[in-house]
Amino acid sequence: MIEPTFKTFSGINDQVVLDSIKNLLQSVNLNLDPNLDHIIVGIVEKEIIACAGLDHNVIKCVAVHPNYQGSNITLSLINQVLELAHDKGLHHLFLYTKPENVHLFKACGFYPIAQLPGIITLMENTPVGISHYCNTLVKQKKSGTCGAIVMNANPFTSGHLYLAEQAAKKVDWLYIFVVSEDASLFSSEVRYKLVKEGVSHLKNVIVLPGSAYIISKATFPSYFLKEQTLIEQSYMAIDLLIFRQYIAPALSISKRFVGTEPYSEVTNAYNQAMKEWLQSEDKSTSPTITVIEIARVTHDDDVISASRVRSLLMQKKYQQVHALVPPSTWAYIEQHYAIKNQ
Amino acid sequence: MKITQTALAGTLESSDLLVKIEPSEQLEIVINSDVNKQFGKQIRHVVESTLASLNVNNGLIIIDDKGALDCVITARIQSAVLRASKDKAQWSELL
Repeated sequence: MIEPTFKTFSGINDQVVLDSIKNLLQSVNLNLDPNLDHIIVGIVEKEIIACAGLDHNVIKCVAVHPNYQGSNITLSLINQVLELAHDKGLHHLFLYTKPENVHLFKACGFYPIAQLPGIITLMENTPVGISHYCNTLVKQKKSGTCGAIVMNANPFTSGHLYLAEQAAKKVDWLYIFVVSEDASLFSSEVRYKLVKEGVSHLKNVIVLPGSAYIISKATFPSYFLKEQTLIEQSYMAIDLLIFRQYIAPALSISKRFVGTEPYSEVTNAYNQAMKEWLQSEDKSTSPTITVIEIARVTHDDDVISASRVRSLLMQKKYQQVHALVPPSTWAYIEQHYAIKNQ
Repeated sequence: MKITQTALAGTLESSDLLVKIEPSEQLEIVINSDVNKQFGKQIRHVVESTLASLNVNNGLIIIDDKGALDCVITARIQSAVLRASKDKAQWSELL
């Protein structure tokens, strides 16, 4: 039996190493993901014969050279990744693989969550992750027609408030999930607090913190990429399938509300994908969810959006920000930004 | 012993097992074994009695077994529990 030696890289400067990793990935039809924090390689006789990458808590780019497949190297390789992640304090891990390789990772303690047949499967390293999460949701379950909004609210604007008010009128209960990934200007804690305060007058609205299962780095990696050109259709589909197959049934959500998106390419593509993956009968056996787009509210002939607020904050045009956010968000901004009378 | 942090012990190598312990209100044990059909009952018995001898009453215990012997299972669980708890180990209890 071959025992490879393993080596961990955090950023690779050596072009020869980089090329051999790329070649290895290509031999199993994968590309090197540019966002990896760490790459672990397995070496036999100075040749790189296996590799696996870690992007925060997501394992990607796992490959074993065809000559070495079937020799349990995947187990040793994943074992190295698990230990590395554990050392970094990352315990809840996700993994993307092709559906035909799911059995290899099942043997490493990963369990499938959602799958695009023939394309990609998302797995997690716990048998009870998503089911425990759904159990916590079920405790919030209400009767009647339920709808949902998923928002990053970075920060919560009058636009978000308008969307919430309009949506709340159309259903008995409205759940607002606040994206919990900390990859935004405002921390997830602050975003959650501002949403909660901002909709406190709406008695049929329940604000819930998001999770690793709603627009997170795991379910929708490209959402958080700086350059928004790369729109990964398959990631969006995985994110939406998780919503349709787990989250919506846990809370009997039958409607999902969303603001129309004139600017952000990623958000717009996500809105379009929503119609496809939540509404089509043939995309999943789970009940369909009606997607309702609500036109954005405008101020001074331009839509109110969080990105507009952020850009005004950067330019220190605080009075203009004031006009675009509800009082609770304004109070927070006033407190945390050095605002002089303008 | 009270489980207060996430801990790992063991590996996914053949004849070993990987034990992962996470804090949780209740005690929940999930066993995933290559030899579940033949030895599932025995493995669960070893796991439960080891946890009982360490007075573990909470935590999510996830086990990925690759055909480990009982003594290996016991040792791996003991290590994982010691790593997952801030309580001092009663070494005499572990023998």
